[in-house]
Amino acid sequence: MKNILLVCLSGMSTSLLVQKMEKAAEKNDITVRIWAVSEAEAHNNFAEADIVLLGPQLKFKYKEYKKMLGEKPVEVISIADYGRMQGEKVLKWALSILG
Amino acid sequence: MDNERFSAMTDKFAEIAVKVGNNIYLRTLRDSFITIMPVFILAGLAVLINNVIFPLVSSGEELKHLQVFGNVLTNGTLNIAGLLISVMIAYIYSVNKEFKNPISTVVISLSSLIIMMSSTVLVTPDGSKEAVSVMNSVLSFNHIGTKGMFAGIIIGLVSSMLYVKLTELKHLQINMPEGVPPQVGKTFSVLLSSMITLIIMGVISAFMQVAMHTDLIKVISTLVQEPLRQVNTSLPGYLLIYSCGNILFSLGIHQSVINGSLLDPIMLVNMNENMQAVQAGHQAMHIINSDFQTCFAQMGGTGLTISLLLAIFLFNKYKPYNEVAKLGLTPGIFEINEPIIFGLPIVFNIPMMIPFVLSPIIGACIGYFATAIGFIKPLFIFVPWTTPPLISGFLSSGGDWKVVLVQIIIIAVTTLFYIPFLKISEKVAIRTYELDVQSEGKDE
Repeated sequence: MKNILLVCLSGMSTSLLVQKMEKAAEKNDITVRIWAVSEAEAHNNFAEADIVLLGPQLKFKYKEYKKMLGEKPVEVISIADYGRMQGEKVLKWALSILG
Repeated sequence: MDNERFSAMTDKFAEIAVKVGNNIYLRTLRDSFITIMPVFILAGLAVLINNVIFPLVSSGEELKHLQVFGNVLTNGTLNIAGLLISVMIAYIYSVNKEFKNPISTVVISLSSLIIMMSSTVLVTPDGSKEAVSVMNSVLSFNHIGTKGMFAGIIIGLVSSMLYVKLTELKHLQINMPEGVPPQVGKTFSVLLSSMITLIIMGVISAFMQVAMHTDLIKVISTLVQEPLRQVNTSLPGYLLIYSCGNILFSLGIHQSVINGSLLDPIMLVNMNENMQAVQAGHQAMHIINSDFQTCFAQMGGTGLTISLLLAIFLFNKYKPYNEVAKLGLTPGIFEINEPIIFGLPIVFNIPMMIPFVLSPIIGACIGYFATAIGFIKPLFIFVPWTTPPLISGFLSSGGDWKVVLVQIIIIAVTTLFYIPFLKISEKVAIRTYELDVQSEGKDE
């Protein structure tokens, strides 16, 4: 099972996207764990995650996360997909990165 | 301005924001505040129950007994705000620094804060009119509470920095021989650094008390907290700093980078002092405080986007916008507006960026003047920033409908303000779409 971690400032708006992604996963029979946390808690969750996705409002943290996570993939969700809460698209995109 | 120069400018802006946002001290400050926020929200609830609900159902001696409930809760929250922030700062700073023993930093910070306090405290005994000076037997809420918040921040940070630095020095590490339990070894390895840190604090404190007849807590609150408060929570100062944050968000960077570290601490001090005043039976005094922002400048989230949603629902026929507005409404009611900010989009969309930055200014000004002329009172009950518009005004004022009315006026005015920009943005969007279709046609 893949573990996808979403991070935004307080973990609120990303949790909306998590819901949509979970729905999409259910629809497509994909077993996956997706959860959202605040930036302050993120480091406690890194170990469990296979991939870390940042909300676009945290794009400026990308380099720092990249450094902290080393080999583990970290990506910034696209502004358009985030704004439109495209759960399915983001899920498939994340899974395609994990291969 | 042509596109290239605009994007170069925003890149530069973003770069600066990254530097600010990644600054370890500002980050520590922001995360510490986020962590202790629930405690202050509880304090707001306690003040609400004590001063609005209990007086409705009871009076006299019985009311006093009931109010003990709120008083003890205030003691454990607002009245130790300085203490709470100092330990939180120490912990988060250690974590951010990747220091292996964060709990030991907490110990140092707590001790340092108490060391820095004046050893004599003025207290007024029950029934007496005159204050008596008491030595070494009481800890005053005046020092560890709201008034000591800045002292808590600064002493927490300075003692942690000093301590963490000292533990890095090889000479100060005492290494235990093998076979000593790790926990014991851990304690010994930080023994010298702990002692040196606290001794330095002790020397400074003793010197200030004996030679200068003052203490660091007092110095920090008069020399740092007060001037900062004068600048940050004057209307122009507030609008300037807050708008910088909002400009950032219109460039796709979360505004808390600026607001979270520069405004929130002072706004929270003001908020807590208001709560404390009402709890003590006085009137709240600070117009600009955390609730002021939630209720007047940030309804529906940054940029007063609840008004934008209304403008779209009431006056807009452009379908893509209506779709985004539908998606953004429910989170928007709870002050979460990323779907609308990134979906419409507002970010990097010049016609929308203008009202996004200016509407909160309009809201803040209306709220400020309504309070300044005495139409409404300063808000005094801390509500979570996720409290929906109108409900937030009702709760934070202890049930004053006039505050809700002010909120309705702000929403009405800013909705009208959003409309022309919405029309322009719509035209731009349609035109861009047409150009895209044309160029795609050419490519084929």
